[in-house]
Amino acid sequence: MMNLQAAKRLLAVVCLTWAGLAVAGSDDDPEAWLERMSTAMSQMSYQGTFVYVQGEDVVTMRITHVSGDSGVRERLVSVSGAPREVLRDSSGVRWVLGDDHSVLQDQGFNRTFFPQLPLDQQGQARRSYALKLAGVSRVAGQSVRNLIVLPRDEYRYGYSLWLEEHSAMLLKWELIDSDHKPLAKLMFTDIRMGAEVDSSELQPSSQLKKFKTVESRLPIGRGLSSSQPRWRPSSVPPGFELTAHRYFGQKDHAIFEHLVYSDGLAAVSVYVESEVSSADQHSGLSRLGTTHAFSRIGDGMSITVVGDVPAITVKEIAEAVAPAVN
Amino acid sequence: MTTESREHLSCLMDGEISRETGRFLVRRLGADQELCATWARYHLVRDCLRHQDGRLVGNGLSSRVRRAIDNEAAPAPSKRWSASWLKPAAGMAVAASVALLAIVAVGPGGQSQLPAGENAAGVAAAESFTTPQALTPLPVSQQASLSGQSADNNRMNAYLLRHYQATGATSGRGFVTFVPIVIRPSAVQPVSASVTDDTQSEAEPDQAAER
Repeated sequence: MMNLQAAKRLLAVVCLTWAGLAVAGSDDDPEAWLERMSTAMSQMSYQGTFVYVQGEDVVTMRITHVSGDSGVRERLVSVSGAPREVLRDSSGVRWVLGDDHSVLQDQGFNRTFFPQLPLDQQGQARRSYALKLAGVSRVAGQSVRNLIVLPRDEYRYGYSLWLEEHSAMLLKWELIDSDHKPLAKLMFTDIRMGAEVDSSELQPSSQLKKFKTVESRLPIGRGLSSSQPRWRPSSVPPGFELTAHRYFGQKDHAIFEHLVYSDGLAAVSVYVESEVSSADQHSGLSRLGTTHAFSRIGDGMSITVVGDVPAITVKEIAEAVAPAVN
Repeated sequence: MTTESREHLSCLMDGEISRETGRFLVRRLGADQELCATWARYHLVRDCLRHQDGRLVGNGLSSRVRRAIDNEAAPAPSKRWSASWLKPAAGMAVAASVALLAIVAVGPGGQSQLPAGENAAGVAAAESFTTPQALTPLPVSQQASLSGQSADNNRMNAYLLRHYQATGATSGRGFVTFVPIVIRPSAVQPVSASVTDDTQSEAEPDQAAER
């Protein structure tokens, strides 16, 4: 009879062979690279400095991302320019606005209240993007594979991604428009992964103690997800599907509704809110970096659509939002 | 297995799941072999990625899960029956998963190890950050997030932060999604007349795609 040690060895060989075959089989599969990138970005611990260029902005930033027993803890801080940073952990996120000496806090948000978006679920992204693997290169001293994600229409951006060959960690990123022109770029200049990460860098800067903390006024908690949306766009650009929905409020009271649409890669948030005076709301198109927003007042409700998508996408979705016909 | 189950497993791994859902999931782990296998696979992937020094991981997982279950507030008596007999089974299922992971140790040559040195065979020239092609300006519009504490700015900032949390951190791009709110905003630009006009942008006509 096979003893326990021999059985363990056999099982290990079988499992490692299986894992090896799985990895080898995915080497030329762009979708597998996308999934591996997603896993690496969320589950891996890493720390590094990168440069971000968009328009005339050239900013050096430092990221520390630790995935541990207590969940993910992350600190993204600008090394150059105004002192801004984002601190994120399982209890929420803090956005440090150094210009205003203030911290915007959204501590009530919990991922389990909002289902995780399916990254390229069932090949959804294939319908909206053309994926192809390009050559091998080197970034921050690491060997990387280039994955190109080209949008099939004008409603979404594309990406050129350089992924570390073994872990699929994103080391260089380029945002491109539907004409394949680059809009923004990000590239690591140094990176440490795994056990080399110094988690002491997760500590917020001491100057934060002097900053004023402002709580996000958006509703927190679970809300209602099973019911149908009360408000929703009558049509959305091709490829986008409703992936998450939360409703807060009761009849005859203030309501807040948050819907998320995704095409498998890009995501758009639709906010519908009552009791926002038109004087308090800018209507029309806004932009922060490569994120677009479009706001309008319709049927007495404030409608705002936000997304890392071209302006035309947020505008068309916002203008299509109306009371849902169930 | 449903997408929701996978999402819940992912949240359980991240420690971002409610007690009720976590408890329910652990119960299911005791009975659902497919779920159990997915749980093991997620941990295998995570451990491969996280620990590049090759040391064993996950040895304490079953005890941590048991401790978490023990530390749960006692549920209402009417529901107690279901948890009491399922708990050991779920614990054993998780322990079995962990045992599998413990056997499949990540060796020093695991996925996350990179070739030593910068001149590894087959590696092309280093990527340059600059490219011959200039970045295309985005369409003319108004900056969404501005300094100051007006109600409109506060609301838009809250929307942005909630959007990035709900979508960015879990849509595969991780921290990249949060970058726009850390960069220095450029000057406020006038509101465009129409998006259609904007998308015809100020892009240089002779800018060719970089590939």
